[in-house]
Amino acid sequence: MRNFARVGITLSLIAAVAATALAMVNAFTAPKIAAYELQVIKDALVEVSGGYAVGDQATTDDPLVTNVYPLSGENGDTVGHILQLVGTGYGGEMVVMASYHADGEVIDARLLANAETPGLGKKAEVPSYMEKFKGTGGDTAVPVKKDMLGKADADSVSGSTVTFTGVAKAIAYGSDYVKSLGGK
Amino acid sequence: MAGEKKSILTKGLFKENPVFILMLGLCPTLGVSTQVINGLGMGVAVIFVLLFSNIFVSLLKNVIPNSVRIPSYIVIIAAFVTIVEMVMHAFAPAIYKSLGIFLPLIVVNCIILGRAEAFANKNTVMDSILDAIGMGVGFTLAVTLIALIREVFGAGTITLMPIGGFDGVIEIPLLYTYPVRIFSLAAGALLLMGYLKALFEWNTNRKGR
Repeated sequence: MRNFARVGITLSLIAAVAATALAMVNAFTAPKIAAYELQVIKDALVEVSGGYAVGDQATTDDPLVTNVYPLSGENGDTVGHILQLVGTGYGGEMVVMASYHADGEVIDARLLANAETPGLGKKAEVPSYMEKFKGTGGDTAVPVKKDMLGKADADSVSGSTVTFTGVAKAIAYGSDYVKSLGGK
Repeated sequence: MAGEKKSILTKGLFKENPVFILMLGLCPTLGVSTQVINGLGMGVAVIFVLLFSNIFVSLLKNVIPNSVRIPSYIVIIAAFVTIVEMVMHAFAPAIYKSLGIFLPLIVVNCIILGRAEAFANKNTVMDSILDAIGMGVGFTLAVTLIALIREVFGAGTITLMPIGGFDGVIEIPLLYTYPVRIFSLAAGALLLMGYLKALFEWNTNRKGR
């Protein structure tokens, strides 16, 4: 019985010391991480804005659309929206930032936080990955399947089809969402 | 005695290389070895975790009851991995991003648990430190070597840290235009791993004779 207590106490002590150490490191790094994540979002907003002014963030009830930012043209009228979307890739949830004209046509997009495989799905973080989506969603449908792509684009997503489908579906969903907003 | 210490330090490099000879930690090795910088980043993270987990396991070897030694090691290792993860996220976000899921998976990296169980809990702190450095550097060498070969042939580039005007990517003329794609995919990694293992095995056995 004595031995049993000793085992329990030793294990709890080790866990307690480890937890304290983690809490201390976390207190030190958490603000830096938060600032970095915020910067990533800000940079992405500017990158996808297509030269339009980005308005204030608004949240939505839609579980797949986290945030909406209106885009305004030179005379202040709303010309489109940037959406922060949730997609599902090979490594679970992915955050996609995509901008649209008011008619649902994709201006540009970026893949942000994700847990895709380095060297395969991770390549979707490169800005040029999104070229295949630009200009779709309006008159032409967003390519959500590999056979909707040209050969060069299809080759570029080979080995990471799940990531591609996840990103594409999120962008397509966003396009429909923007259409449902109307010209607002 | 000095020779013995030296052999603890150097055995991890070639003779008992954790990846090629002991066949430990293959999952992260094959997973992150797509770019040289990922290999180096993973190596540094593993050296750090291995060093501190070996030190603490060795220090506590008489305190930890035998029946719960594995859970205790896991707690110690997990704590250091989480510290590495948070520090990398805050100070080296680019590497943190590219390592992705493989960083938290260091917790279950068999090299670290293997060294705790097979070495640190039987040896002095000093020897455990030497063992950790040797094995850690051996792992880094292995993963960087695989990454170098895979990146050069598979993508025609060598990705390092961006410093100043240098964007961190060296392009290799012919291979950049006509890369051998199989090397960057999983099958290529396994094939390459097999050949490198044969090479290291030959090297170890040759000296043993």
